[in-house]
Amino acid sequence: MIRIIARKEFAEIVRDGRFMWTAALMVLLLLTAMLAGWQRHGSYMATQAAAQGATNTQWLKQGDKNPHTAAHYGNYAFKPLGPLAFFDNGVTNYTGTTVFMEAHKQNFAIASPAADTSAISRFGELNGAMILQVLMPLLIIFLGFTAFAGERESGTIRQVMSMGISRTSLLGGKALGLAAAVLIVVVPCVIIGAVFIAMTDLPVVGEGLVTRIALLTIAYLAYAGIFLFLTLAVSAWSRSPRAALMVLVGFWAFTAFIMPKTAAEISKAVHPSPSYGSFMAAMKAHQARGFDGTPPWAELGKFQGQMMRKYRVSDVKDLPFYWTAVRMQRLEELDQRVFNQHFGAVTAAYAAQRRLQDRIGLLAPTLPLRSISMGLAGTDLIQQQKFQDDAESFREAMVSKMNGYLSKAAVSLNGVNSASNYLIANEDVFAIVPPFRYQPPALATTLSEHWMNFAVLAFWLGAAILLALLGVQRMSLERD
Amino acid sequence: MLEAINLRKSYGDHEALQGLNLKVNAGDIYCLLGANGAGKTTTINLFLNFVEPTSGTARVNGVDVTQNPLETKRYLAYIPEQVMLYGNLTAIENLEYFARLGGHAGYSAADYRSFLDRVGLQANAANLRVRTYSKGMRQKVGVAIALAKQAKALLLDEPTSGLDPKASNEFSALLLQLRNDGAAILMATHDLFRAKETGNRIGIMKSGRLVQELSTDEVSHADVERIYLEHMH
Repeated sequence: MIRIIARKEFAEIVRDGRFMWTAALMVLLLLTAMLAGWQRHGSYMATQAAAQGATNTQWLKQGDKNPHTAAHYGNYAFKPLGPLAFFDNGVTNYTGTTVFMEAHKQNFAIASPAADTSAISRFGELNGAMILQVLMPLLIIFLGFTAFAGERESGTIRQVMSMGISRTSLLGGKALGLAAAVLIVVVPCVIIGAVFIAMTDLPVVGEGLVTRIALLTIAYLAYAGIFLFLTLAVSAWSRSPRAALMVLVGFWAFTAFIMPKTAAEISKAVHPSPSYGSFMAAMKAHQARGFDGTPPWAELGKFQGQMMRKYRVSDVKDLPFYWTAVRMQRLEELDQRVFNQHFGAVTAAYAAQRRLQDRIGLLAPTLPLRSISMGLAGTDLIQQQKFQDDAESFREAMVSKMNGYLSKAAVSLNGVNSASNYLIANEDVFAIVPPFRYQPPALATTLSEHWMNFAVLAFWLGAAILLALLGVQRMSLERD
Repeated sequence: MLEAINLRKSYGDHEALQGLNLKVNAGDIYCLLGANGAGKTTTINLFLNFVEPTSGTARVNGVDVTQNPLETKRYLAYIPEQVMLYGNLTAIENLEYFARLGGHAGYSAADYRSFLDRVGLQANAANLRVRTYSKGMRQKVGVAIALAKQAKALLLDEPTSGLDPKASNEFSALLLQLRNDGAAILMATHDLFRAKETGNRIGIMKSGRLVQELSTDEVSHADVERIYLEHMH
């Protein structure tokens, strides 16, 4: 029975003039968005690979110099993106792509793609995810708002119900027919997207690509299902097709435009994150007065005493390592405690904002889908954070390796106080620092961060189905 | 076949139907007469289970309509004042859709054509989208749907109002065919002439009550009109 109804619904939708132009527009936009995304991703990755390669060479070929000075010369981390970034570039336009890693300083990521583009293209950059998140619901609404309200207005609903079919079958059939009409528009585009990925020779960043694609498909299908059943529910509850359309388009604007912005503003107001200026000022001041109130010079004095007692020497020049290097490493570690606390506070504020936004998703299904989509594509703030963390680990290892090498290789310079108090190292020494490699979070980590969003999406789907079931049961067959 | 027992329906204070007792047997064409608001459409809606009765029972083929609403609809065909069809589908497609909804999936394309032939739809119209159809053509497709459903009972709600005399006459001829095939037909109508011509029984309703029943072979056209008008005053 459901299949019979679905077939007729499908035939009717497809023959309607609305279908041809909305479908054509949708296909055109989706394909354009995917092509644009593919082009953008390709050129981004080419730039990233070239830049990372150049900086790796630069580090080795920086010229013979003191290892600690080499750590000052520093190194760059350029963030690579997974292949799914072409479909959903998430926040990557607005977050830094590059971290300068140097001795004594933890830096923020800089150089966001948005900073390089003209004012106009900052808005409405096309990507496949945006089309599916924003325009697919509109397609579903346009094709489905008359489902019940239209049949009630034209009177066919009485004829249909006089045939002796249950209201639940009617809902099932309409849902299936509408789903088929939406899927024949969307699925070919999704397949083309998958073919893009399969044909790529770009490096795969992040594991579980096939699982990610499968999960993305499930999440987007659930999202489409939410709008499909909401459309049918509203159509069943509404007095007229016009009223149904108004309610649905209102909800669409609310969830797709108003709530994402509002949720961001609310979460920022509730869990404020500091501005760059005040953050840097607070961190510098903290660094100067010392992590727990003991200034760095006093800490270093204490440390010197500890070392001299430990190695039973009366002068630092008698220590079994190059004191200057160990002292610098100690200072580095003292500073790191301050960096970690301040950067950690910002990270915690972002995480709190994110959790709050996940909860606001109970009001607007676009929010959880957006988070899941960015998360699986590897383009959300969590992964940006992981990149910054990786860069910081790299920086700490780089500084500690250079200081460590110096502390062992320059023991003979202990206490020597002249212009020749300098150990010069070459490429072979710099090579003990392996090139920077970004390790994206494991898929399991991403999923555990997003369980709430999956739950909220499932809740919405369940609620939409329930509303539709209730709606058809209570639906009047009479025109008003 | 169609049976109403003390059937009542009230909407708040308004009593749309006040204890209707009615029986339409196979081979009957029972015409319900009465002013607008007399309860004719409410009666039909109750047999279709489109509204729940306040009390009393409606039975189709001996089965209680509220207890087994899906089963009783299998025996029924409903033809409203305006047969509403899907404008973007052809007559054949509409017919096939409703036949399948009614549980008859076994018809061939030739069967559908012959149903439309029997109701007198022009052959070249069968494959046109029904958006372009006149009211008469739509009513014919409505009857074809009833034929395809092999309904034991027909509920007709002013099916001929607005039809020109010729179309109305053709429609009545179709009803007689259906009756001869053994269907029980309940028709709400304002057309006293048609009721006397086509029906074998007439019921006059007023303010939710069945006030008089007649057999058409015992009265003349003039009698029907006189009795009807007496009740309306």
